[in-house]
Amino acid sequence: MEETNERPPVFKTWNGWYIMVITVLVAQIILFIYFTKYFS
Amino acid sequence: MSYPDWIVLILTLAAIIIYGVFKSRTTKNLDGYFLSNREMPWYVVLFSIMGTQASAITFLSAPGQAYTDGMRFVQYYFGLPLAMIVLCITFVPIFHKYRLYTAYEFLERRFDVKTRTLTSFLFLLQRGLSTGISIYAPAIILSSLLGWNIYWTNIFMGGLLIIYTVAGGARAVAYTQQLQLIIIFTSMFLAGYLVVKYLPEDIGFFDALKVGGAMGKINVITTGVGENGFDWRDRYNLWSGIIGGFFLALSYFGTDQSQVGRYLTARSIKESRLGLLMNGLVKVPMQFLILLLGILVFAFYQFHDAPLFFNQTQVNKVSQTTYANTLKNIQEHYNEADSRKKEIVRIFSAGGDADFSDEHKMELIYINNQRDSLRAEFKKLVEKPDIKGDANDTNYIFLRFVLDYLPKGLIGLLIAVIFISSWGSIAAALNSLASSTIVDIHKQFVNKKMSAEEDFKMSRWYTLLWGIFCIIVAQFAYNIGNSLIEAVNILGSLFYGVILGVFLLAFYCKPVKGNAVFWAAVLGEISVISLFVLNENKTINLSFLWLNAIGALLVVLLGFLLQFFTFRNRKFS
Repeated sequence: MEETNERPPVFKTWNGWYIMVITVLVAQIILFIYFTKYFS
Repeated sequence: MSYPDWIVLILTLAAIIIYGVFKSRTTKNLDGYFLSNREMPWYVVLFSIMGTQASAITFLSAPGQAYTDGMRFVQYYFGLPLAMIVLCITFVPIFHKYRLYTAYEFLERRFDVKTRTLTSFLFLLQRGLSTGISIYAPAIILSSLLGWNIYWTNIFMGGLLIIYTVAGGARAVAYTQQLQLIIIFTSMFLAGYLVVKYLPEDIGFFDALKVGGAMGKINVITTGVGENGFDWRDRYNLWSGIIGGFFLALSYFGTDQSQVGRYLTARSIKESRLGLLMNGLVKVPMQFLILLLGILVFAFYQFHDAPLFFNQTQVNKVSQTTYANTLKNIQEHYNEADSRKKEIVRIFSAGGDADFSDEHKMELIYINNQRDSLRAEFKKLVEKPDIKGDANDTNYIFLRFVLDYLPKGLIGLLIAVIFISSWGSIAAALNSLASSTIVDIHKQFVNKKMSAEEDFKMSRWYTLLWGIFCIIVAQFAYNIGNSLIEAVNILGSLFYGVILGVFLLAFYCKPVKGNAVFWAAVLGEISVISLFVLNENKTINLSFLWLNAIGALLVVLLGFLLQFFTFRNRKFS
């Protein structure tokens, strides 16, 4: 049975991963807003 | 299709089946058959999750969606990364902790047998029917474009994958999905490259985007707010994407066994989490690129003759009726507009931005609107009671381009992509339907004392039977009507929200017990179906995407109310 508190790769905790996923999503949305404005 | 296309198609499909059978060696018990002995690394889990979600319609419909409606469909996936995080925090550790086979097992531990049975029944009903429609949806497109017999196409679309799904269970499903996605992405990339290559010499990728942008197709972000405030019927905007999409993704990935079964195959919580989080990172860009392909196809058709309607079968159907003259009239006007459109975009092609004035842009927009009106006029003919045709050609746009312009061999490969992308999601669905049937129903109510070997054999039988059931549903799916993809999405929205509500109560609301949850789910389901019926009757205005959120919140609210006002002083399970 696996450990429930096993350490994630790259970041010290899973919170690091969660923050990264949210940051990437926000960055994508900002990029898409720019993309939409630029081409319209 | 030419001989090279047939050879590529047959070889690709045969390779997938052989690879699936080759990878089917597993231990003869439920752990081996449904969960690959819980030994999969995160990247196999990731491919499996993506392969399960991405059906043939994803690759057929999305480019067509971009062609007709622009890129705003990508917003539908904005809630997905957030849902992945919630799953990693709550669902994954609990599912792994109890070493579950199905998500619904947890509901018996938390509540009672009847709640578990109700949710697994809702899942089996929804997934069984929607898998049948998922077989029929790409089959009817291929049948229509290539003149294949629909019944045989259904059998090949839903039948061949049964060979490796029955033989190898989750392990064969996961490994074939990996290979399938590699083939799919390579083919889509090649198709995208060729669209750009086939544009006029002076027109590059960036110019194609400018043409799409000028026509309002690059509308990646929309707010859904109009002159009359927020439009609740608007399906794809930032808010419905983040909120509605979040609930939909949470329901789908957290409570649909076809997805839960994929990340339960991971060797640890860490591998499950990594697979899900990576999915959260790559899903939006992947959808964006598929939609971008649609924009490139749109730009391509600005420089080339675009068909009045992309499903030629429907055009032929109308031309054989009393509306033939009306069709001829529409076609003539359309051809005139199409010629003028090409003249204007050639100015852009010859001189670039400098010669392409605002007047030209306005005229191009005007002509495109004119073409859209003529297409709408034709669609009205198709919908006439004496024709009863399919007025939606969105799913035919990309494939029409493939058949008309791509070289021999690549056509066969892209037809193979339709088959194998279907197989990926259908195989996972059959595996999950069988696991829920045996674990949640058979071993509960039919035979509790089965040996590991009997479990294994029975699981194979159930996989086969569900495969046959789904093909039968596909054979009758033409009765549903034309909006098949919408039918699958609506079917999901009718049940997902309620099932998610039950799981949210299970995870986050300890005081609420079995009886309250069961009746909250029953009442919630009735309410969601009532809202759907009211919307269909135009009594209310509500996009189906909101039904997930409403269903989930309603069950949570009703669960609390019933617990504290009705069942408070009684003994619970």
